[in-house]
Amino acid sequence: MARNIKRQTAYDIVLNIKIDSFDFRCYYILQYIYNNPHKFILWGGLLNLYLVSNIITCVCAFIGFIFGGIKFFAPRKALYAQMITFAAGCMGFGRLYQIVRILTGGNILGEFQLGVLGVIGSLVFLFSANFGLMDTLADDGSKKFLKYRIIPAAAPAAAVAFYVVFFVFSDIETIPLIVAGVVTAIVSAASYFNLKHLIFPDVDYGVINCLKLYNLLALIFEFLCLAEMFAYIRDYGTLALVTGILTGIVLLIMTPAVERGIKKWTT
Amino acid sequence: MDNLIYTLFVCTVAPLILMLLLLQKRSKLIVSYMIIGIFVSLFVSELNTILLGLFNDDMLYVTTAITPISEEIAKAFPVLIFAVLFSNDRDKLLTIAFAAGIGFAMFENMVILVQNIESVSIGWAVVRGFSTALMHGVCTSAVGYGMSFVRKKKKLFYCGTFALLAMSSIYHGIFNMLVQSEYKYFGFILPAVTYIPIVVQVFRNRLLNNKSAVTG
Repeated sequence: MARNIKRQTAYDIVLNIKIDSFDFRCYYILQYIYNNPHKFILWGGLLNLYLVSNIITCVCAFIGFIFGGIKFFAPRKALYAQMITFAAGCMGFGRLYQIVRILTGGNILGEFQLGVLGVIGSLVFLFSANFGLMDTLADDGSKKFLKYRIIPAAAPAAAVAFYVVFFVFSDIETIPLIVAGVVTAIVSAASYFNLKHLIFPDVDYGVINCLKLYNLLALIFEFLCLAEMFAYIRDYGTLALVTGILTGIVLLIMTPAVERGIKKWTT
Repeated sequence: MDNLIYTLFVCTVAPLILMLLLLQKRSKLIVSYMIIGIFVSLFVSELNTILLGLFNDDMLYVTTAITPISEEIAKAFPVLIFAVLFSNDRDKLLTIAFAAGIGFAMFENMVILVQNIESVSIGWAVVRGFSTALMHGVCTSAVGYGMSFVRKKKKLFYCGTFALLAMSSIYHGIFNMLVQSEYKYFGFILPAVTYIPIVVQVFRNRLLNNKSAVTG
């Protein structure tokens, strides 16, 4: 009997039906909080846009990470693909941290927290994969490719412009401003190589031509990170949700895009 | 209490140092790094006290957002020295990194045991013994993997190690947050959930390597 009453109460709170009177609803809600404080935090949390956004991104990032883990972590598999898998994993862990922080009653908006390191780590992996591995394969440093080294500077310029307009010229506290500055610096570095590899005529090996879809996705991901950071700092829940969903979609298809590219190159 | 921690340190490290003299090359290296891990744990316990003071004694915030970074950096430092000065062999680095992590966890458990002597039980020891030790071992090994590129690919070493350090700090932070919350059981199983796929992957790779060696 008692269990039935509890079930009905939870049902009423979530769907807001069956109860007509406002006073009755308040009474039921208070009774429910009193009886099930943990569940209430969870249900309340589900209405939290930041939590929903983090869950979507986390699930997508881990699917990408597991896909990459299965496909790329065998002997003699491309280290480049492993780095991108790690990028998805790092993002997934960062999001998991933020989910746990929200669910345990912590704050993810106003103070420094380790979830930011997920974004930073993920961007560093993407930068490292291109800067440390792929770029030396494609670019021999000759003068004939000079314009393909200058044009990609547009991506870091756009990232810096975004930072100046949306972060520097708005009233943001010092610590979030510094964190956003660090993220912008890494986005700038990573996006330079992604744009470069998107337009670079890879005449010698042809591997970069096969990875154009991945480079496009990585470029979108990097700017989504900036937009999401802006949403978090300014406390724009809806923007955080939209960017979280888009980031999730990009992370979901990033590792399959790399796999497709590598397969295309090797066959 | 401080004296007790130092007493514990001497009691733990002294027999291990004596044992070092009798060990062969690889075992010597592993035990050395366990001792180093114990020493790092002692250093970090002092450092954490200072950090706690800097953040107004907010234990929850410090243990979930600050100490994961300081502990991971402190544990990674001896592994970095080995990678730069002696060898960048991946197997060796992963082994010594895991040993440093286990040494760190061992002493951390002892410190917590001494600080909470009234409330500890066998159950506590089993849970902490498995979960914390695995967590520290997995985190330090992840950073050790990045350091294996120190001589082969310098560009990859700097960025990769930093990114892996970030990843292990987050992982450590999640663990610390979970074990202090009402979802602590998830915290206890988290290291095992990550450790098992790594072990499976290592065995799978060994099998594949053996197979390819046989087929020539």
